[in-house]
Amino acid sequence: MRGSTPLAIAFVAPALLLLAAILGWPLISAVVLSLQNIRAIGTGGELIGFDNYAEVLSDATFWRAGGISIVWVLANAVVQTILALITALALQQNFPGVRIARTWVILTWIVPTVVTVIIWRWLFSSSGGMINPLLMQLGVIERPIGFFNTPTTAMATLIFINSWRWFPFIALMMLAGLTRIPSDLYEAARLDGANSWRRFIRITWPLLAPTMGVLLVIGTLLSFNVFDIIWLLTSGGPAGGTRTLPVLIYETAFKSYNLSEAATISVLATVFLMGFALLATRYISKTEAQ
Amino acid sequence: MRRSWQMNILLALSLAFLCLLILLPFWWVVSSSFKEPQEIISRSPTMVPHSFTLQHFQKLLSSSAYPTYMLNSLIVSTISAIITLMLAVPAAYAFFRMHFPGREVMYRTILLAYAFPSIVVLIPLFGMFVKLGLVDTLTGLVIINVTFALPFSIWMLRSFFAGLPKEIEEAAVMDGASTLVILRRVMIPLITPGIASVGIFAFILSWTEYVFTSVLIVSDAKRTVPVGFSGIIGQYQIDWGMLLAGASFAVLPVIILFSLVGRWFVGGLTEGAVK
Repeated sequence: MRGSTPLAIAFVAPALLLLAAILGWPLISAVVLSLQNIRAIGTGGELIGFDNYAEVLSDATFWRAGGISIVWVLANAVVQTILALITALALQQNFPGVRIARTWVILTWIVPTVVTVIIWRWLFSSSGGMINPLLMQLGVIERPIGFFNTPTTAMATLIFINSWRWFPFIALMMLAGLTRIPSDLYEAARLDGANSWRRFIRITWPLLAPTMGVLLVIGTLLSFNVFDIIWLLTSGGPAGGTRTLPVLIYETAFKSYNLSEAATISVLATVFLMGFALLATRYISKTEAQ
Repeated sequence: MRRSWQMNILLALSLAFLCLLILLPFWWVVSSSFKEPQEIISRSPTMVPHSFTLQHFQKLLSSSAYPTYMLNSLIVSTISAIITLMLAVPAAYAFFRMHFPGREVMYRTILLAYAFPSIVVLIPLFGMFVKLGLVDTLTGLVIINVTFALPFSIWMLRSFFAGLPKEIEEAAVMDGASTLVILRRVMIPLITPGIASVGIFAFILSWTEYVFTSVLIVSDAKRTVPVGFSGIIGQYQIDWGMLLAGASFAVLPVIILFSLVGRWFVGGLTEGAVK
């Protein structure tokens, strides 16, 4: 520890003040807003206690969006974990060009989401595009599929697109966990005659588990908050089939101009999310301690 | 490590699969942006363009406000990256090495920034920006981008500081150098990769930001690429040629940036995760 306390405060103050003003204060305002009855921005309102909460909690739209959010988070977790694990295990190996591969694998994550949206909207398009003609040439389908036309296919397609964007990021984090596993463990196992599959099950998997746990928590928070991809591709449709909670919050606030109700949904979502993160991190640190 | 031939085949298969999954969509989009309109909507897609034209790019640059969006995005992202660094480097050093009350609690709290839906703060923030006159200004966007880049940047820079050998800093202290001099002359030059990583992170974050910009920017002349471009999607009868050209164009700056310093960025990302 060195440096004087005033200097240290001068070092952290600008960053902390900005965070407090742009994240902390609005967060508190959101709670206050949820206890009022303000509709459009700039109009007045009065404190009405927990009426908004009673209303939101008895609204079927809220519960449906909550359910869709849970499906969204779980499906994204499964798809991303599988893709990321394959990627991380492949990139852990030595092969010509591995350095370039480790850098550029993240390509899907560094391009703007609006580009991701255009890429996939075009590729999945039912008039032209690439995927429909390809499937037809291969004889898998006879007629173009409207991937965004039914709630189920729209949801599946969105999950694929979002996972495509995020799996390389998760993979690099897993790779970091993999490189931390001491290589003499593998050497010892090899001398004992363990084949690659046994080495994976006995060494890689258990030692990677803590990293996977942390990544699952981070991944859950990240996928839950995804808004732009869904909004730009389906706007929550068809028939509300892809309307997750962030989409519902945005619609309530900026389409039906009910700020207080939107703030209420936000607060509820935050409480659920924080609760989940807290429980999950506690569970992880408990299993790690054992 | 030596591998058996089965493992080699498995590795080759996974790498081929990853190449297809990641690169093929980009290849299709970029190559198609040079195709004639008839070839783009053709029922039998071509892997390699049979025709070549620059008409989509010409149309994009002349008949839409795309160049303005591009300029706005470049301004906002560059300034956001610089300010993020100016705030994050001293803060990260203080969290790493200096003493002040509430250090650990504050460090943990700022990482919570990513735990709640960012859309939560959008609503009160809009009201706040209206009062401050920051709605429809690029300054407002910079403020938002810096705020969202800060927690991760501080975390990443702190782990870069932690990765430096102790002896170097100790030697500087023995020579009687002050904290400011140590930071500026010794520590900052040593974490150049970290600074590059955080700079790219903030730039990419700002370059891709959509939600806040879509709400806070009203006039077309102040839109960034993501928001302006998403407006083009709905504005015209879907002109795929122009959209694909725009998509190829919007990828270009991040590709250039990444080919210069991407290695450090990925290194920083994975090193930060280890500590």
